[in-house]
Amino acid sequence: MSDLAELAQKISALAAKDTVFETGARVISTGGEPSPIVAILNEIDDTILERDLEIQADGAIVNLIVSGRRLRGIAAASSGADDVVGHVLSREEPDMVAAAFVLLSELCGRAQRLTVRYLAPQPFGKGGERGISAKGLAALWKIDLDEVPKPPMERFLSTNRSAAIAMIHMTDGEMQSSAGDVTALQSILDTQLADFRGLQTLGGGAQLICLEGALSDGSAAALAIHEDDVALIAYQPDHLGALHASWRAILG
Amino acid sequence: MVVDELDALRDANQGCEMLAFADLSTQMILVTDTAANAPRETLDRLCNEAVMMLGAGRKVVLGEEPSTTALVANSKGVRVFLRAADEPNDVLCCVCAPELDVEAFVADARERLNRISSGA
Repeated sequence: MSDLAELAQKISALAAKDTVFETGARVISTGGEPSPIVAILNEIDDTILERDLEIQADGAIVNLIVSGRRLRGIAAASSGADDVVGHVLSREEPDMVAAAFVLLSELCGRAQRLTVRYLAPQPFGKGGERGISAKGLAALWKIDLDEVPKPPMERFLSTNRSAAIAMIHMTDGEMQSSAGDVTALQSILDTQLADFRGLQTLGGGAQLICLEGALSDGSAAALAIHEDDVALIAYQPDHLGALHASWRAILG
Repeated sequence: MVVDELDALRDANQGCEMLAFADLSTQMILVTDTAANAPRETLDRLCNEAVMMLGAGRKVVLGEEPSTTALVANSKGVRVFLRAADEPNDVLCCVCAPELDVEAFVADARERLNRISSGA
């Protein structure tokens, strides 16, 4: 692709009508789509003039100094890794490049929502230290910038994998996947779900229903519905808030 | 008073829009918060939903056991239903905005419901 065509594509993407802003910051990843590191690399790749990219990832904040579609370095981070912050990235220092990846992954990798704010650049390193291009970082960090997004229900289940004791995912009545001991969930699916959905007067659209203490072992059950997808999940009750937050980010 | 607890719960939680204290044995809404301005049919539907989600008596519509807390979310909002710890027929029905902080709200609501139910 020529530089001109690529530039036109990027301007078009920035002007897209579905761009969402929150308190002045542009949302670049929601519910893991695209994955937070890919979203950050895309922003780096879109930045020509030198800027301080303030990335907010749920509660964490990291400031990246970016210029000429290259990440020069990490200017500040809300926690961790003093050995990376303030240093210009260079291919000649692979440990530093790897540490930057670890820092970004820890701060942003599991965030449900990522936003970016473009700030005026702050003095950083020496003028000749250019950093590493987004594509170069993707290669070094083994990130696929052209990743195909997973369907929303798969992303929801994947996000909540650690909270789930067991789960069943059906599409159009066909089993897609299951995990854990699904005996109780399968019984609910076979004997109750059709009647339950018939009784519901909540209308169509995506829904999440969470029932604490609904399973005989004391665990909670959740029913997630999105288009033709239905998922039943057994989970520990203390994950209710996280389950709802991820549902809202991905399916709500 | 019950209504004071309901008003305090609504005021303390951003996104909390309406609260109703109900008795599952009679399937009736007994008290709402003072700002609630919903017609009887809406309150009846809310109470019916509480019955369906939490189960009345030993009847369970979804699950193996009657639930203690239920959450129903769609793009328009969140409804939360809580059962009192010591009196299983005392329930709190909550209508909330989608952006509700569920974890904080449920903890606060559960504490206030138990106070209401115990008459403390």
